[in-house]
Amino acid sequence: MAHLIIGRGNTITSMATPSYVALINSRPLSTSAAALGKRNFRKFLTYGKRGTRYLKKDMRTNPDPELEKVFDRGVRPVGVVTEKKFKSIPEMIPEIIVPDLNGFKLKPYVSYKVPDVIQGSFGPQDLFYAVYSDKIAEDVKNNKLNEDGSPAEPSEEELLTADEAKKKALSIGSDMY
Amino acid sequence: MPRITEILKCVSDMTKQSSNLPEAYIKRAMEQVEWRTPKAIQYRQTEIKRKKFRFTTNRPWTQQFEKQNQPGLRRKKVFVEPILEWTFFKGDRVEILEGKDKGKQGLVNYIIQERNWVMVEGLNCHYRTIGKKKNYPGMMVKSEAPLLVTTQVGLIDPSDNKPTQAEWRYTEEGDKVRVSVRSGRLIPLPKLAEETQDYKTKSTYIEQEKDTPAEELTRITFEPQLKTFAMDIADKMGIKEDRIPRKTYWY
Repeated sequence: MAHLIIGRGNTITSMATPSYVALINSRPLSTSAAALGKRNFRKFLTYGKRGTRYLKKDMRTNPDPELEKVFDRGVRPVGVVTEKKFKSIPEMIPEIIVPDLNGFKLKPYVSYKVPDVIQGSFGPQDLFYAVYSDKIAEDVKNNKLNEDGSPAEPSEEELLTADEAKKKALSIGSDMY
Repeated sequence: MPRITEILKCVSDMTKQSSNLPEAYIKRAMEQVEWRTPKAIQYRQTEIKRKKFRFTTNRPWTQQFEKQNQPGLRRKKVFVEPILEWTFFKGDRVEILEGKDKGKQGLVNYIIQERNWVMVEGLNCHYRTIGKKKNYPGMMVKSEAPLLVTTQVGLIDPSDNKPTQAEWRYTEEGDKVRVSVRSGRLIPLPKLAEETQDYKTKSTYIEQEKDTPAEELTRITFEPQLKTFAMDIADKMGIKEDRIPRKTYWY
């Protein structure tokens, strides 16, 4: 560690007496690399060496909820922590519904005799065509459209707004938020 | 992302096709990892594993192959002539051109494309004793030796029943066919070419109880509806839910 010397020291060789007082204020400065002293343990893993004992105890007793979320590995909570106690909410527990497979014809494997089945993907546009296209075609034919293009006699699906649709989907429980 | 097919590149197409095994399984079964660094922040994720395998008459997913390719073993490199288009199939009639059974014709039984090898049924055999003990002299077994496709074996030209070199050419219709270089005669693919571990031919495969038959597979039962998956199931199971959850916001 070098010592930074602020101020001037005595000069012995000067003939005249020094007119100032020598003040050696030294502040330690590290000039070596930050990794000096750390060792890369390659043959064995050490656990629990990070942080002071106080910090680790504190983290155990008062866990930071945001930090917990980062390290929860994607586990969905089944309840809520209120006043240091965990309260399980039944609606948060997923209910796995497995249908009755009696008489189900599809088996786990596919026979080698079967020719390759190539099917296109069914996307949102295809769903739109399947649900709305017939009604729209009929309306155009029978001139049942208003000036702005909206249907004069809207069906149930055509009356559905985005908000309503989202509410319906969310009420039974979904992955959308 | 590490290349998935680095190990699988060595395994030939004929081996993969005749095994009916998924490629991921073959790769997993072949893998010989000598050392893998632990999963910790201070380690660089590396592994010491075998990249060059010694291919033998044992298939890559067998235990014998695993033993022959153990991590500590150092084997001399085997030089294999690269063949662009493989012309030999199971059930092909071939004639042996070199060795003890020179001049004899037989059917191809087993193919090891990684070594350019072919085993002909009942030919080029040797005897070996199995299970020799102090009191017991052992059982003698006749086993075939592999033959090199490039020099020791030749496909038989159907026009004159003599060995010839074969080439892949296209017909006027556009089909890829094997043709004898000497006479230009077509060498048809044998029936057993499509044989695998599970069937002799696809049409003769007997469907087992866990196999989905063709009619069930190709039937379309999907009816498009304006419902999410959860809504559809709820309707089918008769689950009624009127509660609407609180609105959530994204910032």
